[in-house]
Amino acid sequence: MDSAYLNNWIKDESKVIDLGCGDGSLLRDLMNTKSVNGFGVENDLEKIKKCIENNVPVIQHDLDDGLKDFKHLGFDAAIMASSIQCLRNPKSALIDLLDVATTCVVSIPNFGYWKIRLLMMAGRMPVSSRLPSKWYETKNIHLCTIKDFEELCAELNLKILEKIYLDDHGRSLKKLKRGNLLAAEGVYLIGA
Amino acid sequence: MKKNSAVFKSDVNFKFASNKMLPSIELVYETYGEINADKTNAVLVCHAFSGSHEAAGLTSDGNKTGWWDEIIGPGKAIDTEKYFVVSVNNLGSCYGSSGPKSISMETNEPYGSKFPDVCVLDWVNSQKLLMDELEIGCWEMVAGGSLGGMQALQWAVSYPEKIKRAAIIAATAQTSPQNIALNEVARQIIRKDSSFNNGEYITHNTTPKEGLKTARMLGHITYLSETNIQRRFGRKKQAPGTKVAEEVNFEIENYLQYKGDQFSEFFDANSYILMTKAMDEYNLADQFEGSMSKALERIKSKLLIISFTSDWLFPSWHSRRLQKDCILSDVESSFIELEGSYGHDSFLFASPEYSKILKTFLSS
Repeated sequence: MDSAYLNNWIKDESKVIDLGCGDGSLLRDLMNTKSVNGFGVENDLEKIKKCIENNVPVIQHDLDDGLKDFKHLGFDAAIMASSIQCLRNPKSALIDLLDVATTCVVSIPNFGYWKIRLLMMAGRMPVSSRLPSKWYETKNIHLCTIKDFEELCAELNLKILEKIYLDDHGRSLKKLKRGNLLAAEGVYLIGA
Repeated sequence: MKKNSAVFKSDVNFKFASNKMLPSIELVYETYGEINADKTNAVLVCHAFSGSHEAAGLTSDGNKTGWWDEIIGPGKAIDTEKYFVVSVNNLGSCYGSSGPKSISMETNEPYGSKFPDVCVLDWVNSQKLLMDELEIGCWEMVAGGSLGGMQALQWAVSYPEKIKRAAIIAATAQTSPQNIALNEVARQIIRKDSSFNNGEYITHNTTPKEGLKTARMLGHITYLSETNIQRRFGRKKQAPGTKVAEEVNFEIENYLQYKGDQFSEFFDANSYILMTKAMDEYNLADQFEGSMSKALERIKSKLLIISFTSDWLFPSWHSRRLQKDCILSDVESSFIELEGSYGHDSFLFASPEYSKILKTFLSS
């Protein structure tokens, strides 16, 4: 996730949890530039070690075990960067998200993106630079499009306060129109 | 590895948390590695219930290595080429520091059961005296497993300016009723030994060895895991001629008896009672009007909280809860649950992941 627009959404000195934080670099940036009080959640020991190297507090946890452990711990913002589609139960994660933090930043790879559609038209599961894994290796098990995701948010009464659509190179599209076709990724600021 | 053994004698009144006083105390300790010119490379390691100051290198009897030798040494997780490691025998224990076996200056007899009750805070306060004696301004890290982990946590809370990192391993901020229950059975076994003489066995020239042995056998089981016992012993029968006692059938029985016997040769029954009581009483929030957040808000150091999957004595949820409380109090803290089939004792053995995480934390 590009941190440029995150900077507008995440307030200085706020308390932030990054669910699926990887090596902690996103949090490290936010800790450096915005003095946030950051905590990462990760399940991979190698990545956890990197977090500790990066001086990012990290909690070992399998997100498939749910988010209830992180509810009501005083987080201002929760970040879920390209990890919701990897969960066994993304819907319940979305429901719990606003008990974890007052605002949430969620990003999803958009499977409605035209390049993916083209790949699918060829009769194959999409493999690209952004989706490098074969179908049997990919961690993305709950695939959705921008349309699907926004529909679920509406159903769950999750307010999309702001959103940005990104192209293949992570640059934001100037217009939101026809995003489901033109965007490779959707990034959302969600509130109650 | 440069290794030193020494005794620190403090001649000022030592006041226990219970308000009892001793006019002086002695702490036996070891150091590994060398202190740098600014004295900024010191690490304190805290031992668990039956541990001693002999944490690394060969023990004084020459046939064993220290309890954390897999972790402390040249190139190891706590690298003695870089760090100066201090390891103290706790007050109330029986390896040379003031304890029930020490002679009281008032009565000229061993304290026996009259040695003041000790608690985790007392240990930390006494270690602080040694820290001042060694002119160490701030620990780079305080680390320990089990009861040692409680000391690391206590350091972070009691002396926030004197510690940069705390590694709290296989421990808890609040001893569980299951722990207390197991400890009480062990204490009863010791007390019921007819040689115990209400704790005054030294003056009676007796030793409650049988009680100590059986108590240790019970304790020992709680430090292992079912998987570990299954793998190591299975249902194998002890070979005739190698049995420690006639009635023994299985290897696991023989092993526990053998280890229990060994333990009863050197451990002191009153220390057993004191140390388990200290463990039972540990509840960090108690020191702050029952408020965990009041305790944790004092912390300025980084915390690394580690638990092990097979540990059923201090199960992971204790560590997880502690870190949750840390998050609530905005304490910079990480929690990691490591695989480890050795049960509670996993904290003693250096798996590659465990070592790496500890090493990374210390150098972060």
